[in-house]
Amino acid sequence: EELPYRPALTQTPKLEGLVTASTFVVDQPRCFFDKYNNADIWLVVALDKAASTFNNTAAPGTPETAFQNFPDTVSAYMTLNATVANYPCSRPARDITVLRVGSETSCAGDKSRPTCNGPLPGPGPYRVKFLALQGSEPVAETPWSAPITLRTAKPPSKIPMTDRGHSAGMIAITTILSILFAILLAGLVAMLVFWGSDSCGSSSTFSKPESVTVRRYNTHHVYDQPAARL
Amino acid sequence: MAKSDDCVHILQGLLVFGNVVIGLCGIALTAECIYFVSNPHGLYPVLKASENDIYAAAWIGIFVGLALFALSILGIIGVIKASRTLLLVYIILMLITFAFEMASCITAATHRDSLTPSAFLKEMLERYQKSEPANNSDNEFTKTWDELMLQNHCCGVLGPSDWQEYTSAFRDTHNDADYPWPRKCCVLDAQGLPVSLDGCKLGVPGYYNSNGCYDAISGPVNTHAWGVAWFGFAILCWTFCVLLGTMFYWSGIEY
Repeated sequence: EELPYRPALTQTPKLEGLVTASTFVVDQPRCFFDKYNNADIWLVVALDKAASTFNNTAAPGTPETAFQNFPDTVSAYMTLNATVANYPCSRPARDITVLRVGSETSCAGDKSRPTCNGPLPGPGPYRVKFLALQGSEPVAETPWSAPITLRTAKPPSKIPMTDRGHSAGMIAITTILSILFAILLAGLVAMLVFWGSDSCGSSSTFSKPESVTVRRYNTHHVYDQPAARL
Repeated sequence: MAKSDDCVHILQGLLVFGNVVIGLCGIALTAECIYFVSNPHGLYPVLKASENDIYAAAWIGIFVGLALFALSILGIIGVIKASRTLLLVYIILMLITFAFEMASCITAATHRDSLTPSAFLKEMLERYQKSEPANNSDNEFTKTWDELMLQNHCCGVLGPSDWQEYTSAFRDTHNDADYPWPRKCCVLDAQGLPVSLDGCKLGVPGYYNSNGCYDAISGPVNTHAWGVAWFGFAILCWTFCVLLGTMFYWSGIEY
C-alpha cells in the first residue's frame, strides 16, 4: 500500500545542520504507519538514479542492502529500523522529531552491522523512502522523496578576497600628511637657504631680550623729550 | 617698537603653548600605544598570524610619543631663549619625528584595511586545530580561538557554516558527521560539556552558537587602529602649525 506521505527534509525548526557533507535530516513519519502494529519500518536510502530500480522484496541486513557495500556494489541500503511505537502520533510540543541520516560513525566500516546508519560517502543526490515490512512481506511504503544533494566543501583558497581595498580614511590620511610634510620640508629648505641674508619682514626682527633693548629705549626717550617740551 | 615686542611675546606665548600641547599629546600617544601593545583583549595570537603586523604601528607610536615629549621641552627652552641653534636642532628633529609618526599612522590605517573577514576566515581554516603544529604559535592560535568562541558565544568568523562551506585543518582530523563544527561552538554547561550534543550537531537554535566571531574581533581592532591612526593624524596637524610658527620665529631672530 502506498502512503500519502512523502519523506522530506525537516522544515521546522530551522536546523543549521540540515544538510552537511555527509548527513541530512528528515522528518519522522508520524501518524502514517498507525495501522501496522506488527511491522518493522525501515528507511531506504538510494542513489537518485537507482531509486526506480529498487525492489521492495529486498531483505534488510543482507549484503544486497548493507550500508558498507554502498555505493560500490549496492545502490540502495536499508537502515534505521523502527516500529510504530517509535513514531507515535501524538507529537510532544517541545521535542524535535527528526531522523538524522548518517549519524552513526562507529559502525561505518563494520561489516557485521549491515543496517548501520553510517555517514553518506558522497554528495549524492540521494532519495529516501520508508518501507514497512511484516516479516519479510512489504505491507506499506511511502513514495520516494525529492532528490537530496549534500554539501561539497571548497578549499580555503577559493575564499573570495573581494573585500580588500583601501578605505577613504586611509587615503585621506596619506595624502594630507604627505602634503603637510612636503610643506615643512620646503620651509626648512627655505630657512637654510636664507640663513645668511636678511629675512623678509625685517621690520619685525625681534631681538634677544638682553642686549639691544636698553639702547633702543634710550633713543626713544631722547627723541620724545624735546617734542613734549615744545 | 612696543608693538613689535608685543608681537614677539604673543608669538613666543603661542609657540610655548603649542609645544606644551605637543608634549601632553606625546605622553597620551605613548600611553595609548602601550595599552594596545599590552594585548588587553587577548587577541594578539589571532592578529599576529596574518602577514601584516598591526602592532608595528603601535610600537612606533610609543617611541614617537616619548620623542615628542622630549622635543617639546627642547622647543620651549629654545623659544624662550630665542636661540637659533637650539631651534634649528628642534626643527630638524621634529621633522624626523613627524616622518616616523606619519609612517605609523599610514601603517595603522593600511593594516586595519587588510583585516577583512576573508583574511580571518582563511587564517582560521588553515590553522585552527592544525594536527601537526609547525610551531608553538599554532597551539596559541587554537587556544586563542577556543577562548574567543567560548567567551563571546560565537562560532567561526561568519558562522558555523564556515566549517561546512570550506575544507580546513579541523576537517582533516574531525569527520563531518560527528563534528559538523567544533565542539566549542556548542552551548556548554558549567562543566564545559555540550548541553545537548545531538542538538548541537543538528544545529538546533539554542544549543549552538550561530553568530560569527568577526564582530568580536573587529570591534577592539577598529578602536585601536583608528585610535592610533586618527590621534596621530591630529597630533601631526597640530605639530605642523607649531613647526611653521617656529620656522617663522626662527627666521626673525637676530643672530
